[in-house]
Amino acid sequence: MQLQLPFRKPIASWLRKLVTKMSSRKQVKGEYIETDTGNKVSRKANLIGTQHIMLGGKTVIMAEAMVRGDLTRTVSAQGSSGAAPQSNTSIFIGRYCFLSRGCCLRPPGRIYKGAFTYMPLRIGDHVFVGENSVVQAATIGSHVHIAANAVVGEFAIVKDYVRILEGTVVPANMVIPSFSVVAGQPGRVIGEVPEGGHEQFEMREMYKTVGNNIPPPTAPAQLPV
Amino acid sequence: MASFTPYTYIQCPCFDLSNQTRHSDGSPSPTSQDLPEDDDEDHAFDPRSPRSNYSLYPLEYLLYCVDCHQIRCPRCVSEELVTIYCPSCLFEVGSSSVKTEGNRCTRSCFQCPVCVGPLAVQSLESAPEASLLSADNASASGPTGPWALTCSYCNWSSSEVGVKFDKPQGIFAQLSKLRNGSNTGADVPLTSAVYARAFSALRSFYQSQLANSNTGSSMAGGMGDYGFSSPAALTRIMSIYSGSTSKPKNKATVMREADVPSEGFRTSNLDESEAISKLRAEGYDGTVTMEQAASQVEEGAHFADELWPVASLLRTKRAKRCPACRHILSKPEAKVSNTRWRIRLVAGNHIPSVTIKPLPNPGAPPPSALTPLKPTQYLLTFKNPMFDSIKVTLATPATTPGRFSSKVTILCPQFTVGANSDDYDLNEVLKAEDRDQRDRRREDDGSHQVEAGKVFERGRNWVSIVVEVIPASLQIQPTPSILQKAGEPDPDLAPLREDEDILEIPMFVRLEWESEPSQDQVGVASSGKEKDAKEKRELAYWSVLGIGRISQE
Repeated sequence: MQLQLPFRKPIASWLRKLVTKMSSRKQVKGEYIETDTGNKVSRKANLIGTQHIMLGGKTVIMAEAMVRGDLTRTVSAQGSSGAAPQSNTSIFIGRYCFLSRGCCLRPPGRIYKGAFTYMPLRIGDHVFVGENSVVQAATIGSHVHIAANAVVGEFAIVKDYVRILEGTVVPANMVIPSFSVVAGQPGRVIGEVPEGGHEQFEMREMYKTVGNNIPPPTAPAQLPV
Repeated sequence: MASFTPYTYIQCPCFDLSNQTRHSDGSPSPTSQDLPEDDDEDHAFDPRSPRSNYSLYPLEYLLYCVDCHQIRCPRCVSEELVTIYCPSCLFEVGSSSVKTEGNRCTRSCFQCPVCVGPLAVQSLESAPEASLLSADNASASGPTGPWALTCSYCNWSSSEVGVKFDKPQGIFAQLSKLRNGSNTGADVPLTSAVYARAFSALRSFYQSQLANSNTGSSMAGGMGDYGFSSPAALTRIMSIYSGSTSKPKNKATVMREADVPSEGFRTSNLDESEAISKLRAEGYDGTVTMEQAASQVEEGAHFADELWPVASLLRTKRAKRCPACRHILSKPEAKVSNTRWRIRLVAGNHIPSVTIKPLPNPGAPPPSALTPLKPTQYLLTFKNPMFDSIKVTLATPATTPGRFSSKVTILCPQFTVGANSDDYDLNEVLKAEDRDQRDRRREDDGSHQVEAGKVFERGRNWVSIVVEVIPASLQIQPTPSILQKAGEPDPDLAPLREDEDILEIPMFVRLEWESEPSQDQVGVASSGKEKDAKEKRELAYWSVLGIGRISQE
């Protein structure tokens, strides 16, 4: 499969190409579509508006995950037409992110200068989003762990090395500083990530466990989180 | 029952230090009667004793001093402030302004007094538009009029308590002005901040009084502006209170007492009929909860309409030092936005991590709880983070301490774990992986045998061993009176306490390894040895393995 892809190109076109190529060759379909930059996207994932979704590479999107790329900015930023029209990406996702089954990424929206518009959702590297969690943040930093059934409210800003525990509801507009452990409804900072806990945010091992043909694990599993 | 994740906690040596100091002064410890062999090293450590709670930590929380070669826990390290910042606006606050302005953000960062959610500045006039993040943008585009702080989580608004702002910036200053202004009325309850303000007003009033009176007295010779902290003022106050030593200098001073609110004078409001009628009208819902009252900056709020926005508390970045040698164990970068660390000596890089897994049993899925009296095998995997191979010696008591003593057997209590090899070049790693695979295959031929004295499985820098437990029965029944010995106390027949059904194994871990001698001057203890000789090192600590819950039947 010769697909030369530039880094961070909207994934829609090649995704389509990839799918057609695979089906034409009558290849055995794995559960995941694996791209040249190492993204593993489940065929059962719901990616809407793929031309507005940017994946940094080595990101896993599992089945039934919903990524709402279609909710793009409707009011052009900064005056009339300063920004180029194609820079209408609504969701940026960094490297080694992991979107679990049933989670939802949704750009936040609000009334801006009298009209309702969505704003882009930016996600850093090594971000884990747990099952059935909803993320509507403005920014998620790097090395962030969002556990299952959590809600990150609109325009929340989550900095680096943050652990959001299960069932947390992070209120809209909340800023979570680095090295925080957040829990509760509404979410509040309940503790600090210890110095020795930074490595647990690393998602490289997790990335290797998902894919079409995964070798059986050779090393012992990581410490349970 | 909630799912149980096996855990490993490690005991910090500061626990033992406190024990030793207690013994050295010779006073009998209050727990010594429970532990027959308290004073020597061979009594097993009891993870269930109330004191243990304070010394057991997961591996991630522990630091490691490379000079003392000892584990350090959050309780025993000493901390130093590096940066003080607001967790909401992430602005750095200088320590001097913390001293003068207090420990709260003086910008526009407020928390909802009802639900602790963040408050945003919103215009009360037009549609809710301006969020806190872009208040400056929005103000340019037009929305005007009074502003209020609103919570996006519970829809509380500061206009509910009558707090409105003229402009969307400088909320803290506006709020404190409002607060001070409203407090001159008599109906506001006496709060600590009111007291503080009253005190400062009184203080300045009496200071001026003193200064005035001192000008006439002989004491005043150049010391009139010394205030209360001066020795002259002290002797003066002492003479006022003692009274008997009526010095002739004092008789001329005439001091007026404070009698108007601006001088700090306050009458207390003894008429509570208003509060009672309010309580009657609004009921329980109109009052504040304990948490809400506690989170208020100024104490004394009793009703929901007395809740004010809470300025967010500042947060710190802290460096940690070893309590013994004062060396820095961890130090974050000073900038708020920087998440790197200059120094980070974590225990995870020096002592092996332990993972617990039930021994894969072909066929049966792993049970959710341990069956009493049924031998169950668990796999402990030790992973070596160091670049030297370590010799591990394990020891457990034969039965776990506590009321329900389960039997524990470590099948292979002594083994060597290979060195970690992050710095190997790729070829060596590949070779090692190859060897790993071969080893595995060879071991597979003999199929993993659960055998005493043998390692179950091993890799380049990890080793798995088997531990067998026979969980105790959780039946609480009195021992037959025939079996009871005369001297023994009556057995504890209380019902099962919280988490008493968790099978916890205390395990003593002893590590031995040879490392390059440390370059610094602290390690001069190894004198007499040659420079290139490897240094023998040893580390021993107690740890606790939480295996699982014993099912109750």
